[in-house]
Amino acid sequence: MTETTSASASHERVGFSLNRVGVIAVNTLTEAVRQKVLILFLVIGFVFIALSVFFAQFTFGEQFKFIKDTCLGVISVISTLIAIVGTAQLLPNEVENRTIYTILAKPVRRFEFLLGKFFGSLFLLVLSMIAMCVLFAAVLGIKEQAMIRELSQTYLGETAAAKDDAHLQIKQIQVDALDPDLVKAVLTDLAKAVLVAAITLLVSTFSTSLVFNVVVPFMVFVAGMLRGSAAEMWGAHRLLMAVLAVVPDFGLFGIADDINLGKAVPWAHVSEIIVYGLVRTVILVVAAHLIFSRREI
Amino acid sequence: MDAIRTENLTKKYDLGWRKGRLLALDKLNLRVREGEVYGLLGPNGSGKSTTLKLVLDLIAPTDGAAWMFDVPCTKVVSRLHVGFLPENPYFYRYLTGAETLQFYGKLCGMSGVSLQKRIDEMLELVGLAKARDRRLSGYSKGMLQRIGLAQALIHDPKLLLLDEPTAGVDPIGSKDIRDLILRLKGMGKTVLLSSHLLAQVQDVCDRIGVLNLGQMILEGDVKTLISDQRRLSITVQDLPEAARARVEEAVRAAGASVISVEHPQTSLESLFLDALRKDTRGAGHHD
Repeated sequence: MTETTSASASHERVGFSLNRVGVIAVNTLTEAVRQKVLILFLVIGFVFIALSVFFAQFTFGEQFKFIKDTCLGVISVISTLIAIVGTAQLLPNEVENRTIYTILAKPVRRFEFLLGKFFGSLFLLVLSMIAMCVLFAAVLGIKEQAMIRELSQTYLGETAAAKDDAHLQIKQIQVDALDPDLVKAVLTDLAKAVLVAAITLLVSTFSTSLVFNVVVPFMVFVAGMLRGSAAEMWGAHRLLMAVLAVVPDFGLFGIADDINLGKAVPWAHVSEIIVYGLVRTVILVVAAHLIFSRREI
Repeated sequence: MDAIRTENLTKKYDLGWRKGRLLALDKLNLRVREGEVYGLLGPNGSGKSTTLKLVLDLIAPTDGAAWMFDVPCTKVVSRLHVGFLPENPYFYRYLTGAETLQFYGKLCGMSGVSLQKRIDEMLELVGLAKARDRRLSGYSKGMLQRIGLAQALIHDPKLLLLDEPTAGVDPIGSKDIRDLILRLKGMGKTVLLSSHLLAQVQDVCDRIGVLNLGQMILEGDVKTLISDQRRLSITVQDLPEAARARVEEAVRAAGASVISVEHPQTSLESLFLDALRKDTRGAGHHD
């Protein structure tokens, strides 16, 4: 029934269990999926991504660039919002509803509980991003087919040379539509959202106010986005620079613009960004654990 | 071996800057023996819930220590054989009764057929078998309390900690929970029950401890504590008036005095439950 079943409790052991982390994570995901606010964010994201194909018609040329700009922007904003709002309420809700008492009264380590809640939030984040990316890909596919159809009709009955020209244009449309570098942009976005979620988790381990848990990570995120510019402006102020050094450089994650402009973004650079995010995420989760393990509930 | 032992367990809460500290529990030395039902009594704010939280390591003691089955309460392993029902419990409202027990069972390392079997047993035990597939958002307070008891029992713990288990529950639900505690006692479980409903505690507890302002002010065996050894009560039925006078005379002749002669009264609870039992319409159902 339990992990160890020797007769005397003093000889029994309860080790760290990924199984318990998984049970809490799945439960957290189920809880989050049923929250209207998070679903609303996702629906708003879907609407903007879907509408991008419509509004792209009003742009002169570079319709794919418009769609990609819009969709990557929407994915970035919505994933950040889901990371903050989804994570901010995890611990306060558990404490307020007293469900944390019944869970921690079982042979569950606080670190398992914390990781379970965090992973549950990350599951939601990943699923939301997959859903948005699928719709993004569908939008690109629809636009690609529409443009090819339109081009084919324009060149119907034209000379062989014109048809060759049309063929080249179709190939260009296909290249524009299916840009493998978009995966890089989405992956760095995911790493950024995971880091934002980790900041939110850390804040929620010492604060019980939901508003505080949302506002502070958002402010840290904004400060992180402006870190590069701030460093240029206030480079001489040591104190300010010391404060900024603690804030993650979220500007690093913004490779979507470069990709959309056709600039080469090597995988090595993408990996560096992801590792940068993951290392800071691990540090933040460990810090959250150190605070949460001492917290009175 | 004691199921619970505390030594000088003390808890002070910081009240904030320049407001000092609140002494919630003051050098508590508590022993709950295996197999007994122990009632922790006291008014609101007396330290009952603080004691339970300290034992479960939800809060850290300012001083002193606690053990469950001789294992320090600060160790996770101390909670292997403990089930806890908090006061006014809330659970995940989107889960059904069966899903709730599945969640808590999995946290205790249970799985597969044995878990399913245990879920069925527990739902049957607390009388929620028919509501197993209903979401908890549709459960009444009494039902939530009972699913709370079921989750506390899911891993077949040796010790149960119940914080105000009948708070806000109607008399029928309250009686059901009381009967359940007695059944658990019959099964050899140890129960630490925190309550301020004295009549209820008197019915189910072997021993009680009374807390006030964080200190244990009275402790002992329930029957011994509440019995008055100098007085004797004899209840008779259909006693003629003349015979009654002779009995009173015999009492006085023996050098004793008659304090009161009255018709015994039933308790309001018994009256209420009897009235419901006699209501033969029986079409409705309670939770």
